[in-house]
Amino acid sequence: MPGSEILRSLRLLSRSSGGLLSGPERVTRCLTRSMATEAQINTTTASSPVPGTAWAPTPALVMTYDFPSMEPVRMVEYPEKHLLMPIRKDLLHRAVIYEADISRHGTASTKWRDDVNGSHRKLYPKRALAVPVLSPVRRGGGVAHGPHPRDFSTDLPAKVYDQAWRIALSHRFQRGELIVIDNEISLPSESTPFLVKNILETNGWNSRKGRSTFITEDVDLELLVKMEKFSKHAKLMGRTDLDVKKLLETGRLIIEKKALDRILKAHSRDLNNRPARALY
Amino acid sequence: MTPRLMGLPIQLATRPFQQASPLAFLLPQFQPTRQAHILASLSDNPSAYNKRIRRGRGPASGKGKTSGRGQNGQKQHGKVPAHFNGGQTPDEVVHGERGGKNPFSVEMAPINLNRIQEWIDQGRISAAHPITVRELTQSRCIHQHKDGVKLLGGNDSGSETESTLKQPIHLVVSRASASAIAAVEATGGSVTTRYYTRRAIELIMKREIHPFLSRAWSAQAAPEPLLHAAADNAVDPDQQQQLADSVLPPPGFRYRLPDPTRRRDIEYYRDPAHRGYLSHLLKPTEGPSLFFRSPEDRKMTAGSRKEKVLPANRLW
Repeated sequence: MPGSEILRSLRLLSRSSGGLLSGPERVTRCLTRSMATEAQINTTTASSPVPGTAWAPTPALVMTYDFPSMEPVRMVEYPEKHLLMPIRKDLLHRAVIYEADISRHGTASTKWRDDVNGSHRKLYPKRALAVPVLSPVRRGGGVAHGPHPRDFSTDLPAKVYDQAWRIALSHRFQRGELIVIDNEISLPSESTPFLVKNILETNGWNSRKGRSTFITEDVDLELLVKMEKFSKHAKLMGRTDLDVKKLLETGRLIIEKKALDRILKAHSRDLNNRPARALY
Repeated sequence: MTPRLMGLPIQLATRPFQQASPLAFLLPQFQPTRQAHILASLSDNPSAYNKRIRRGRGPASGKGKTSGRGQNGQKQHGKVPAHFNGGQTPDEVVHGERGGKNPFSVEMAPINLNRIQEWIDQGRISAAHPITVRELTQSRCIHQHKDGVKLLGGNDSGSETESTLKQPIHLVVSRASASAIAAVEATGGSVTTRYYTRRAIELIMKREIHPFLSRAWSAQAAPEPLLHAAADNAVDPDQQQQLADSVLPPPGFRYRLPDPTRRRDIEYYRDPAHRGYLSHLLKPTEGPSLFFRSPEDRKMTAGSRKEKVLPANRLW
Protein backbone atom coordinates (compact mmCIF):
# COMPACT_ATOMS: atom_id res chain seq x y z
CA MET A 1 0.00 0.00 0.00
CA PRO A 2 1.76 3.15 -1.13
CA GLY A 3 -0.60 5.35 0.90
CA SER A 4 0.26 3.72 4.16
CA GLU A 5 3.96 3.94 3.38
CA ILE A 6 3.63 7.65 2.87
CA LEU A 7 1.86 7.90 6.19
CA ARG A 8 4.55 5.86 7.91
CA SER A 9 7.34 7.99 6.49
CA LEU A 10 5.44 11.07 7.57
CA ARG A 11 5.18 9.68 11.05
CA LEU A 12 8.88 8.92 11.13
CA LEU A 13 9.54 12.44 9.94
CA SER A 14 7.38 13.84 12.66
CA ARG A 15 9.11 11.71 15.26
CA SER A 16 12.52 12.91 14.24
CA SER A 17 11.38 16.49 14.47
CA GLY A 18 10.22 16.18 18.02
CA GLY A 19 7.53 13.60 17.66
CA LEU A 20 4.64 15.94 18.19
CA LEU A 21 2.56 15.24 15.11
CA SER A 22 0.46 12.36 16.33
CA GLY A 23 -1.76 11.98 19.36
CA PRO A 24 -0.74 12.33 22.99
CA GLU A 25 -0.09 8.61 23.38
CA ARG A 26 2.61 8.71 20.76
CA VAL A 27 3.94 11.96 22.15
CA THR A 28 4.71 10.39 25.49
CA ARG A 29 6.45 7.44 23.92
CA CYS A 30 8.63 9.70 21.83
CA LEU A 31 9.40 11.87 24.81
CA THR A 32 10.46 8.84 26.79
CA ARG A 33 12.75 7.94 23.95
CA SER A 34 14.29 11.38 24.01
CA MET A 35 14.94 11.00 27.70
CA ALA A 36 16.65 7.74 26.92
CA THR A 37 19.17 9.58 24.84
CA GLU A 38 19.70 12.03 27.67
CA ALA A 39 20.59 9.18 29.98
CA GLN A 40 22.92 7.84 27.28
CA ILE A 41 22.12 4.19 27.49
CA ASN A 42 22.55 1.89 24.52
CA THR A 43 19.24 0.19 24.04
CA THR A 44 19.67 -1.69 20.78
CA THR A 45 22.70 -2.89 18.92
CA ALA A 46 23.05 -3.46 15.21
CA SER A 47 23.76 -7.17 15.51
CA SER A 48 20.58 -8.06 17.39
CA PRO A 49 17.54 -9.23 15.38
CA VAL A 50 15.11 -6.64 14.14
CA PRO A 51 13.07 -5.53 17.13
CA GLY A 52 9.32 -5.47 16.89
CA THR A 53 8.96 -8.91 15.37
CA ALA A 54 7.28 -11.86 16.99
CA TRP A 55 10.60 -13.56 17.76
CA ALA A 56 12.27 -10.39 19.01
CA PRO A 57 9.52 -8.26 20.50
CA THR A 58 10.34 -4.71 21.44
CA PRO A 59 10.74 -4.45 25.18
CA ALA A 60 9.10 -1.63 27.06
CA LEU A 61 11.62 1.07 27.98
CA VAL A 62 10.73 2.61 31.29
CA MET A 63 12.49 5.60 32.80
CA THR A 64 12.83 5.46 36.56
CA TYR A 65 12.94 8.57 38.69
CA ASP A 66 14.34 9.59 42.01
CA PHE A 67 11.84 10.58 44.70
CA PRO A 68 11.19 13.35 45.63
CA SER A 69 13.58 15.22 43.31
CA MET A 70 12.02 13.46 40.28
CA GLU A 71 15.28 13.41 38.40
CA PRO A 72 15.60 10.60 35.86
CA VAL A 73 17.82 7.79 37.09
CA ARG A 74 18.01 5.06 34.48
CA MET A 75 16.17 3.24 31.74
CA VAL A 76 14.77 -0.18 32.58
CA GLU A 77 13.59 -2.73 30.06
CA TYR A 78 10.43 -4.70 30.73
CA PRO A 79 9.18 -7.53 28.53
CA GLU A 80 6.45 -6.52 26.15
CA LYS A 81 4.16 -9.09 27.79
CA HIS A 82 4.43 -7.04 30.97
CA LEU A 83 3.97 -3.43 29.99
CA LEU A 84 3.06 -3.41 26.31
CA MET A 85 0.00 -5.63 26.41
CA PRO A 86 -2.69 -4.54 23.96
CA ILE A 87 -5.76 -3.21 25.72
CA ARG A 88 -8.53 -5.73 26.30
CA LYS A 89 -11.50 -3.96 27.81
CA ASP A 90 -13.41 -7.21 28.15
CA LEU A 91 -10.76 -8.77 30.36
CA LEU A 92 -10.48 -5.59 32.45
CA HIS A 93 -14.25 -5.64 32.82
CA ARG A 94 -14.28 -9.25 33.96
CA ALA A 95 -11.49 -8.59 36.48
CA VAL A 96 -13.19 -5.50 37.90
CA ILE A 97 -16.52 -7.32 38.21
CA TYR A 98 -14.77 -10.30 39.80
CA GLU A 99 -13.19 -8.05 42.42
CA ALA A 100 -16.44 -6.23 43.05
CA ASP A 101 -18.26 -9.53 43.56
CA ILE A 102 -15.65 -10.68 46.06
CA SER A 103 -15.89 -7.45 48.00
CA ARG A 104 -19.64 -7.77 48.53
CA HIS A 105 -20.34 -8.66 52.13
CA GLY A 106 -23.61 -10.45 51.44
CA THR A 107 -24.69 -10.03 55.05
CA ALA A 108 -28.14 -8.55 54.45
CA SER A 109 -30.57 -10.55 56.52
CA THR A 110 -34.25 -10.59 57.40
CA LYS A 111 -36.44 -12.86 59.47
CA TRP A 112 -39.03 -15.10 57.91
CA ARG A 113 -42.21 -15.68 59.95
CA ASP A 114 -40.74 -18.77 61.58
CA ASP A 115 -37.66 -16.87 62.74
CA VAL A 116 -39.54 -14.03 64.43
CA ASN A 117 -40.06 -14.48 68.15
CA GLY A 118 -43.72 -14.65 69.16
CA SER A 119 -46.87 -16.70 69.28
CA HIS A 120 -48.30 -18.52 66.31
CA ARG A 121 -51.80 -18.11 67.70
CA LYS A 122 -54.62 -16.84 65.49
CA LEU A 123 -55.48 -13.25 66.39
CA TYR A 124 -59.26 -13.69 66.33
CA PRO A 125 -61.25 -16.88 66.10
CA LYS A 126 -63.51 -17.55 63.06
CA ARG A 127 -62.81 -14.42 61.08
CA ALA A 128 -61.32 -13.58 57.73
CA LEU A 129 -57.72 -12.28 57.90
CA ALA A 130 -57.37 -13.70 61.36
CA VAL A 131 -53.79 -14.59 60.55
CA PRO A 132 -51.24 -14.88 63.37
CA VAL A 133 -49.17 -11.89 64.48
CA LEU A 134 -46.06 -13.25 62.79
CA SER A 135 -47.58 -13.45 59.32
CA PRO A 136 -45.89 -11.23 56.73
CA VAL A 137 -49.14 -9.28 56.26
CA ARG A 138 -48.98 -7.97 59.85
CA ARG A 139 -46.84 -5.22 61.23
CA GLY A 140 -44.09 -6.78 63.30
CA GLY A 141 -44.46 -10.02 61.41
CA GLY A 142 -41.84 -11.78 59.35
CA VAL A 143 -40.56 -10.60 55.98
CA ALA A 144 -41.58 -12.56 52.93
CA HIS A 145 -38.90 -12.96 50.23
CA GLY A 146 -36.43 -10.80 52.14
CA PRO A 147 -32.65 -10.98 51.75
CA HIS A 148 -30.65 -13.65 53.50
CA PRO A 149 -26.87 -13.86 53.90
CA ARG A 150 -25.16 -15.33 50.87
CA ASP A 151 -21.88 -15.40 49.04
CA PHE A 152 -21.77 -13.20 45.96
CA SER A 153 -18.26 -14.13 44.87
CA THR A 154 -17.77 -15.35 41.31
CA ASP A 155 -14.92 -17.20 39.65
CA LEU A 156 -12.35 -15.98 37.17
CA PRO A 157 -9.55 -18.10 35.71
CA ALA A 158 -6.26 -17.11 37.34
CA LYS A 159 -4.58 -16.66 33.98
CA VAL A 160 -7.27 -14.24 32.85
CA TYR A 161 -6.98 -12.29 36.10
CA ASP A 162 -3.21 -12.05 35.78
CA GLN A 163 -3.54 -10.79 32.23
CA ALA A 164 -5.96 -8.13 33.44
CA TRP A 165 -3.38 -6.85 35.94
CA ARG A 166 -0.75 -6.49 33.24
CA ILE A 167 -3.21 -4.97 30.78
CA ALA A 168 -4.15 -2.35 33.37
CA LEU A 169 -0.48 -1.53 33.99
CA SER A 170 0.22 -1.50 30.25
CA HIS A 171 -2.67 0.86 29.66
CA ARG A 172 -1.25 3.22 32.27
CA PHE A 173 2.24 2.94 30.86
CA GLN A 174 1.21 3.54 27.27
CA ARG A 175 -0.67 6.67 28.28
CA GLY A 176 2.33 7.93 30.22
CA GLU A 177 0.49 7.57 33.51
CA LEU A 178 2.89 5.13 35.10
CA ILE A 179 5.73 6.87 36.91
CA VAL A 180 8.27 4.44 38.27
CA ILE A 181 10.32 5.49 41.27
CA ASP A 182 13.76 3.96 41.50
CA ASN A 183 14.17 4.37 45.25
CA GLU A 184 11.55 4.27 47.96
CA ILE A 185 8.66 6.71 48.17
CA SER A 186 9.45 8.25 51.52
CA LEU A 187 10.09 11.62 53.09
CA PRO A 188 12.34 12.58 55.97
CA SER A 189 10.45 12.10 59.23
CA GLU A 190 10.93 15.74 60.23
CA SER A 191 9.23 17.00 57.05
CA THR A 192 5.84 18.65 57.40
CA PRO A 193 2.71 17.71 55.43
CA PHE A 194 3.22 20.84 53.34
CA LEU A 195 6.19 19.18 51.68
CA VAL A 196 3.75 16.60 50.37
CA LYS A 197 1.53 19.38 49.13
CA ASN A 198 4.44 21.08 47.40
CA ILE A 199 5.54 17.86 45.74
CA LEU A 200 2.03 17.29 44.43
CA GLU A 201 1.76 20.83 43.11
CA THR A 202 5.20 21.04 41.55
CA ASN A 203 4.79 17.81 39.63
CA GLY A 204 1.22 18.52 38.60
CA TRP A 205 -0.06 15.51 40.52
CA ASN A 206 -2.95 17.16 42.32
CA SER A 207 -6.65 16.92 41.64
CA ARG A 208 -6.50 19.57 38.93
CA LYS A 209 -5.02 16.94 36.63
CA GLY A 210 -6.65 13.92 38.15
CA ARG A 211 -5.65 12.49 41.49
CA SER A 212 -2.56 10.38 41.99
CA THR A 213 -2.03 6.96 43.53
CA PHE A 214 1.26 6.36 45.28
CA ILE A 215 2.08 2.66 45.52
CA THR A 216 4.77 1.50 47.89
CA GLU A 217 6.12 -1.92 48.75
CA ASP A 218 5.92 -1.27 52.50
CA VAL A 219 3.50 1.31 53.82
CA ASP A 220 5.25 4.11 55.70
CA LEU A 221 2.72 5.08 58.37
CA GLU A 222 4.13 8.58 58.83
CA LEU A 223 3.86 9.29 55.13
CA LEU A 224 0.41 7.78 55.09
CA VAL A 225 -0.76 10.22 57.77
CA LYS A 226 0.74 13.13 55.86
CA MET A 227 -0.83 11.99 52.59
CA GLU A 228 -4.24 11.62 54.18
CA LYS A 229 -4.35 15.34 54.79
CA PHE A 230 -4.34 15.77 51.01
CA SER A 231 -6.61 12.86 50.19
CA LYS A 232 -8.38 15.10 47.71
CA HIS A 233 -5.24 15.08 45.60
CA ALA A 234 -3.48 11.82 46.24
CA LYS A 235 -3.66 8.53 48.05
CA LEU A 236 -0.98 6.18 49.28
CA MET A 237 -1.41 2.43 49.34
CA GLY A 238 0.72 -0.62 49.81
CA ARG A 239 1.18 -3.15 47.04
CA THR A 240 -0.94 -5.72 48.85
CA ASP A 241 -3.94 -3.35 48.98
CA LEU A 242 -4.06 -3.00 45.21
CA ASP A 243 -6.43 -4.52 42.73
CA VAL A 244 -7.15 -4.01 39.05
CA LYS A 245 -9.79 -1.37 39.66
CA LYS A 246 -7.51 0.67 41.88
CA LEU A 247 -4.83 0.53 39.18
CA LEU A 248 -7.25 2.21 36.79
CA GLU A 249 -8.82 4.68 39.15
CA THR A 250 -6.89 7.91 39.50
CA GLY A 251 -5.05 10.12 37.03
CA ARG A 252 -1.65 8.45 37.40
CA LEU A 253 0.23 5.81 39.31
CA ILE A 254 3.47 6.68 41.05
CA ILE A 255 4.91 3.32 41.92
CA GLU A 256 8.12 2.05 43.45
CA LYS A 257 10.09 -0.12 41.05
CA LYS A 258 10.29 -2.82 43.68
CA ALA A 259 6.51 -2.90 44.01
CA LEU A 260 6.04 -2.94 40.23
CA ASP A 261 8.43 -5.86 39.88
CA ARG A 262 6.64 -7.80 42.60
CA ILE A 263 3.27 -7.19 40.98
CA LEU A 264 4.50 -8.30 37.58
CA LYS A 265 6.12 -11.37 39.04
CA ALA A 266 3.03 -12.35 41.00
CA HIS A 267 0.73 -11.85 38.02
CA SER A 268 2.55 -13.78 35.31
CA ARG A 269 0.99 -17.18 35.83
CA ASP A 270 -0.15 -17.29 32.22
CA LEU A 271 3.39 -16.64 30.99
CA ASN A 272 5.17 -19.37 32.88
CA ASN A 273 4.53 -22.33 30.64
CA ARG A 274 7.24 -24.59 32.04
CA PRO A 275 5.95 -28.03 32.90
CA ALA A 276 5.49 -28.78 36.58
CA ARG A 277 8.32 -30.61 38.26
CA ALA A 278 8.98 -32.11 41.65
CA LEU A 279 10.67 -29.90 44.20
CA TYR A 280 13.57 -31.26 46.17
CA MET B 1 -11.53 13.65 38.11
CA THR B 2 -10.82 12.11 34.74
CA PRO B 3 -7.48 13.17 33.34
CA ARG B 4 -7.53 14.30 29.76
CA LEU B 5 -3.82 14.50 29.38
CA MET B 6 -1.21 12.41 31.01
CA GLY B 7 0.66 13.96 33.87
CA LEU B 8 4.32 13.80 33.12
CA PRO B 9 7.27 14.20 35.38
CA ILE B 10 8.44 17.70 36.01
CA GLN B 11 11.03 17.89 33.25
CA LEU B 12 8.36 17.54 30.64
CA ALA B 13 5.42 19.20 32.25
CA THR B 14 6.23 22.54 30.67
CA ARG B 15 6.24 21.24 27.10
CA PRO B 16 3.01 21.57 25.18
CA PHE B 17 1.29 18.36 24.23
CA GLN B 18 -0.58 19.49 21.17
CA GLN B 19 1.83 21.34 19.06
CA ALA B 20 0.56 22.66 15.76
CA SER B 21 2.48 21.20 12.87
CA PRO B 22 2.30 22.08 9.21
CA LEU B 23 1.91 18.42 8.34
CA ALA B 24 -0.67 17.60 10.96
CA PHE B 25 -3.62 17.70 8.57
CA LEU B 26 -2.13 14.82 6.55
CA LEU B 27 -2.29 12.41 9.44
CA PRO B 28 -5.47 10.60 10.37
CA GLN B 29 -6.91 11.62 13.70
CA PHE B 30 -6.46 8.71 16.09
CA GLN B 31 -7.39 10.42 19.30
CA PRO B 32 -10.86 11.78 19.92
CA THR B 33 -10.93 15.23 21.40
CA ARG B 34 -12.45 14.11 24.68
CA GLN B 35 -11.65 10.84 26.37
CA ALA B 36 -13.88 9.31 28.98
CA HIS B 37 -12.21 7.46 31.81
CA ILE B 38 -11.50 3.85 30.99
CA LEU B 39 -13.45 2.55 33.99
CA ALA B 40 -16.56 4.14 32.50
CA SER B 41 -16.20 2.33 29.20
CA LEU B 42 -15.39 -1.20 30.31
CA SER B 43 -17.67 -3.93 29.09
CA ASP B 44 -17.41 -7.56 28.14
CA ASN B 45 -17.60 -8.71 24.54
CA PRO B 46 -21.09 -8.28 23.08
CA SER B 47 -21.34 -12.04 22.56
CA ALA B 48 -20.88 -12.59 26.30
CA TYR B 49 -24.27 -11.12 27.00
CA ASN B 50 -27.56 -12.88 26.31
CA LYS B 51 -30.65 -10.97 25.43
CA ARG B 52 -33.61 -11.86 27.62
CA ILE B 53 -36.37 -13.75 25.83
CA ARG B 54 -39.57 -11.76 26.20
CA ARG B 55 -42.47 -14.17 25.84
CA GLY B 56 -45.85 -13.19 24.49
CA ARG B 57 -44.72 -9.83 23.12
CA GLY B 58 -45.87 -10.10 19.52
CA PRO B 59 -45.06 -12.26 16.49
CA ALA B 60 -41.77 -10.52 15.67
CA SER B 61 -40.24 -11.71 18.90
CA GLY B 62 -40.49 -15.36 17.80
CA LYS B 63 -42.10 -16.23 21.13
CA GLY B 64 -45.31 -14.38 20.55
CA LYS B 65 -48.56 -16.25 19.99
CA THR B 66 -48.22 -19.33 22.17
CA SER B 67 -45.10 -18.16 24.02
CA GLY B 68 -43.30 -21.39 23.17
CA ARG B 69 -45.87 -23.51 25.00
CA GLY B 70 -47.50 -25.20 22.00
CA GLN B 71 -51.22 -25.67 21.59
CA ASN B 72 -53.89 -26.59 24.14
CA GLY B 73 -53.22 -28.81 27.10
CA GLN B 74 -52.33 -28.84 30.75
CA LYS B 75 -48.77 -27.81 30.05
CA GLN B 76 -49.96 -24.65 28.36
CA HIS B 77 -52.21 -23.54 31.16
CA GLY B 78 -50.42 -24.48 34.30
CA LYS B 79 -47.96 -26.98 35.57
CA VAL B 80 -47.75 -30.74 35.48
CA PRO B 81 -46.11 -32.59 38.36
CA ALA B 82 -42.56 -33.63 37.67
CA HIS B 83 -42.22 -37.25 36.48
CA PHE B 84 -45.99 -37.36 35.82
CA ASN B 85 -46.45 -39.93 33.11
CA GLY B 86 -50.09 -39.49 32.14
CA GLY B 87 -51.39 -41.51 35.07
CA GLN B 88 -49.56 -44.76 34.45
CA THR B 89 -47.18 -46.18 37.03
CA PRO B 90 -44.35 -43.66 37.44
CA ASP B 91 -40.89 -44.49 36.16
CA GLU B 92 -39.34 -44.40 39.60
CA VAL B 93 -41.73 -47.13 40.73
CA VAL B 94 -41.29 -49.36 37.68
CA HIS B 95 -37.52 -48.90 37.47
CA GLY B 96 -36.58 -47.99 41.01
CA GLU B 97 -33.11 -47.14 42.23
CA ARG B 98 -30.77 -50.02 42.61
CA GLY B 99 -27.36 -50.40 44.09
CA GLY B 100 -25.70 -47.99 46.45
CA LYS B 101 -22.47 -46.34 47.36
CA ASN B 102 -19.84 -48.08 49.40
CA PRO B 103 -18.59 -45.53 51.91
CA PHE B 104 -15.66 -47.78 52.87
CA SER B 105 -14.17 -48.11 49.40
CA VAL B 106 -10.92 -46.34 48.67
CA GLU B 107 -10.12 -44.75 45.37
CA MET B 108 -6.54 -45.00 44.17
CA ALA B 109 -4.82 -42.88 41.56
CA PRO B 110 -3.34 -45.37 39.10
CA ILE B 111 0.12 -44.70 37.72
CA ASN B 112 1.94 -46.75 35.11
CA LEU B 113 5.68 -47.31 35.14
CA ASN B 114 6.18 -46.02 31.61
CA ARG B 115 4.68 -42.69 32.61
CA ILE B 116 7.11 -42.39 35.51
CA GLN B 117 9.97 -43.19 33.14
CA GLU B 118 8.70 -40.48 30.77
CA TRP B 119 8.72 -37.97 33.61
CA ILE B 120 12.26 -38.97 34.59
CA ASP B 121 13.39 -38.57 30.98
CA GLN B 122 11.95 -35.08 30.91
CA GLY B 123 13.75 -34.21 34.12
CA ARG B 124 10.52 -33.59 35.99
CA ILE B 125 11.20 -36.29 38.57
CA SER B 126 14.63 -37.19 39.90
CA ALA B 127 15.47 -40.89 40.01
CA ALA B 128 18.12 -40.20 42.65
CA HIS B 129 15.51 -39.42 45.31
CA PRO B 130 12.64 -41.56 46.56
CA ILE B 131 9.56 -41.15 44.39
CA THR B 132 6.54 -40.66 46.64
CA VAL B 133 3.05 -39.30 46.22
CA ARG B 134 4.47 -35.83 46.85
CA GLU B 135 6.84 -35.92 43.88
CA LEU B 136 4.23 -37.54 41.63
CA THR B 137 1.61 -34.91 42.41
CA GLN B 138 3.97 -31.96 42.32
CA SER B 139 5.22 -32.89 38.88
CA ARG B 140 1.64 -33.54 37.72
CA CYS B 141 2.51 -37.15 36.95
CA ILE B 142 -0.79 -37.86 38.68
CA HIS B 143 -3.43 -35.17 38.70
CA GLN B 144 -5.54 -36.13 41.72
CA HIS B 145 -3.95 -38.08 44.51
CA LYS B 146 -7.36 -39.29 45.80
CA ASP B 147 -6.89 -41.81 48.65
CA GLY B 148 -3.47 -42.89 47.49
CA VAL B 149 -1.38 -44.09 44.57
CA LYS B 150 -1.42 -47.53 43.06
CA LEU B 151 1.61 -48.45 40.99
CA LEU B 152 0.84 -50.52 37.90
CA GLY B 153 3.19 -52.29 35.54
CA GLY B 154 1.38 -51.48 32.34
CA ASN B 155 2.85 -53.74 29.68
CA ASP B 156 6.07 -54.07 31.62
CA SER B 157 6.25 -57.52 33.18
CA GLY B 158 9.83 -57.23 34.35
CA SER B 159 11.47 -59.18 31.55
CA GLU B 160 14.57 -57.58 30.11
CA THR B 161 13.32 -57.39 26.54
CA GLU B 162 10.21 -55.37 27.35
CA SER B 163 11.51 -53.31 30.24
CA THR B 164 10.51 -49.66 30.12
CA LEU B 165 12.60 -48.61 33.10
CA LYS B 166 16.09 -47.43 32.24
CA GLN B 167 17.44 -46.94 35.76
CA PRO B 168 16.75 -48.14 39.27
CA ILE B 169 14.10 -46.12 41.07
CA HIS B 170 12.90 -46.23 44.65
CA LEU B 171 9.18 -45.81 45.12
CA VAL B 172 6.95 -45.38 48.15
CA VAL B 173 3.32 -45.84 47.13
CA SER B 174 0.04 -46.98 48.64
CA ARG B 175 -0.29 -50.16 46.62
CA ALA B 176 1.62 -51.88 43.87
CA SER B 177 0.77 -54.60 41.39
CA ALA B 178 2.88 -57.76 41.19
CA SER B 179 4.04 -56.91 37.67
CA ALA B 180 5.12 -53.42 38.73
CA ILE B 181 7.10 -54.79 41.67
CA ALA B 182 8.79 -57.31 39.39
CA ALA B 183 9.65 -54.66 36.80
CA VAL B 184 11.10 -52.21 39.31
CA GLU B 185 13.14 -54.85 41.10
CA ALA B 186 14.43 -56.23 37.80
CA THR B 187 16.29 -52.96 37.29
CA GLY B 188 17.65 -52.94 40.84
CA GLY B 189 15.13 -50.51 42.28
CA SER B 190 12.69 -50.97 45.13
CA VAL B 191 8.99 -50.60 45.83
CA THR B 192 7.69 -50.01 49.34
CA THR B 193 3.98 -49.77 50.00
CA ARG B 194 2.76 -47.82 52.98
CA TYR B 195 -0.51 -46.58 54.40
CA TYR B 196 -1.86 -43.16 53.36
CA THR B 197 -5.12 -41.34 53.90
CA ARG B 198 -6.57 -38.61 51.73
CA ARG B 199 -6.15 -36.01 54.46
CA ALA B 200 -2.58 -37.09 55.14
CA ILE B 201 -1.67 -36.65 51.47
CA GLU B 202 -3.19 -33.17 51.48
CA LEU B 203 -0.91 -32.29 54.39
CA ILE B 204 2.06 -33.95 52.70
CA MET B 205 1.49 -31.64 49.76
CA LYS B 206 1.58 -28.70 52.15
CA ARG B 207 4.84 -30.05 53.59
CA GLU B 208 3.28 -30.44 57.00
CA ILE B 209 3.75 -34.22 57.06
CA HIS B 210 6.77 -36.24 56.01
CA PRO B 211 6.01 -38.23 52.83
CA PHE B 212 6.72 -41.63 54.40
CA LEU B 213 8.15 -41.50 57.92
CA SER B 214 5.69 -42.48 60.64
CA ARG B 215 5.71 -44.15 64.04
CA ALA B 216 5.39 -47.62 62.60
CA TRP B 217 8.12 -46.92 60.05
CA SER B 218 11.49 -48.22 61.08
CA ALA B 219 14.89 -48.63 59.52
CA GLN B 220 13.92 -52.15 58.36
CA ALA B 221 10.67 -50.91 56.79
CA ALA B 222 12.29 -50.14 53.46
CA PRO B 223 15.31 -51.46 51.60
CA GLU B 224 18.68 -49.83 52.18
CA PRO B 225 18.90 -47.88 48.88
CA LEU B 226 15.67 -46.02 49.56
CA LEU B 227 16.96 -44.81 52.88
CA HIS B 228 20.21 -43.69 51.29
CA ALA B 229 18.32 -41.84 48.58
CA ALA B 230 16.18 -40.20 51.23
CA ALA B 231 19.25 -39.24 53.23
CA ASP B 232 19.94 -36.46 50.74
CA ASN B 233 16.48 -35.21 51.49
CA ALA B 234 17.14 -34.33 55.11
CA VAL B 235 16.29 -37.74 56.56
CA ASP B 236 19.16 -39.57 58.22
CA PRO B 237 18.69 -43.35 58.14
CA ASP B 238 20.38 -43.65 61.52
CA GLN B 239 17.82 -41.41 63.10
CA GLN B 240 14.86 -43.30 61.70
CA GLN B 241 14.37 -45.58 64.68
CA GLN B 242 14.74 -42.64 66.98
CA LEU B 243 12.10 -40.75 65.02
CA ALA B 244 9.78 -43.72 65.07
CA ASP B 245 10.07 -44.02 68.84
CA SER B 246 9.35 -40.35 69.33
CA VAL B 247 5.82 -39.04 69.75
CA LEU B 248 6.81 -35.84 67.97
CA PRO B 249 6.69 -35.49 64.21
CA PRO B 250 10.02 -35.52 62.31
CA PRO B 251 11.90 -32.23 62.56
CA GLY B 252 10.58 -29.62 60.14
CA PHE B 253 7.11 -31.16 59.96
CA ARG B 254 3.99 -30.33 61.84
CA TYR B 255 2.14 -33.61 62.08
CA ARG B 256 2.86 -37.32 62.10
CA LEU B 257 1.83 -39.56 59.24
CA PRO B 258 -0.90 -41.98 60.39
CA ASP B 259 -0.48 -45.75 60.43
CA PRO B 260 -3.26 -48.24 59.67
CA THR B 261 -5.66 -49.35 62.37
CA ARG B 262 -8.08 -51.45 60.35
CA ARG B 263 -7.33 -55.13 60.15
CA ARG B 264 -7.59 -55.21 56.35
CA ASP B 265 -5.09 -52.37 55.94
CA ILE B 266 -2.65 -53.79 58.48
CA GLU B 267 -2.75 -57.15 56.75
CA TYR B 268 -2.05 -55.57 53.34
CA TYR B 269 1.06 -53.77 54.59
CA ARG B 270 2.23 -56.82 56.57
CA ASP B 271 2.38 -58.83 53.37
CA PRO B 272 5.92 -59.25 51.94
CA ALA B 273 4.35 -59.94 48.52
CA HIS B 274 3.06 -56.37 48.53
CA ARG B 275 6.42 -55.08 49.78
CA GLY B 276 4.52 -53.62 52.72
CA TYR B 277 6.36 -51.43 55.18
CA LEU B 278 5.15 -53.60 58.08
CA SER B 279 6.29 -56.87 56.54
CA HIS B 280 9.52 -56.89 58.54
CA LEU B 281 7.43 -57.45 61.67
CA LEU B 282 6.51 -60.97 60.58
CA LYS B 283 8.23 -63.92 62.23
CA PRO B 284 9.85 -66.40 59.83
CA THR B 285 6.84 -68.68 59.59
CA GLU B 286 4.15 -66.11 60.24
CA GLY B 287 1.70 -65.06 57.55
CA PRO B 288 0.35 -61.53 57.00
CA SER B 289 -3.09 -62.43 58.37
CA LEU B 290 -3.86 -61.36 61.90
CA PHE B 291 -6.45 -64.12 62.28
CA PHE B 292 -5.46 -67.19 60.32
CA ARG B 293 -2.21 -68.98 60.90
CA SER B 294 -0.02 -69.47 57.90
CA PRO B 295 0.30 -73.02 56.43
CA GLU B 296 3.97 -73.12 57.42
CA ASP B 297 3.12 -72.22 60.95
CA ARG B 298 0.49 -74.93 61.14
CA LYS B 299 2.85 -77.46 59.63
CA MET B 300 5.49 -76.62 62.22
CA THR B 301 3.19 -77.01 65.17
CA ALA B 302 1.79 -80.15 63.58
CA GLY B 303 5.33 -81.49 63.35
CA SER B 304 5.90 -81.03 67.01
CA ARG B 305 2.93 -83.21 67.95
CA LYS B 306 3.91 -86.43 69.74
CA GLU B 307 3.64 -89.52 67.64
CA LYS B 308 1.71 -92.34 69.13
CA VAL B 309 3.92 -95.09 70.46
CA LEU B 310 2.05 -98.35 70.15
CA PRO B 311 2.77 -101.44 72.15
CA ALA B 312 4.07 -104.36 70.16
CA ASN B 313 0.78 -106.21 70.19
CA ARG B 314 -1.28 -103.27 68.83
CA LEU B 315 -1.96 -102.51 65.21
CA TRP B 316 -3.72 -99.13 65.78
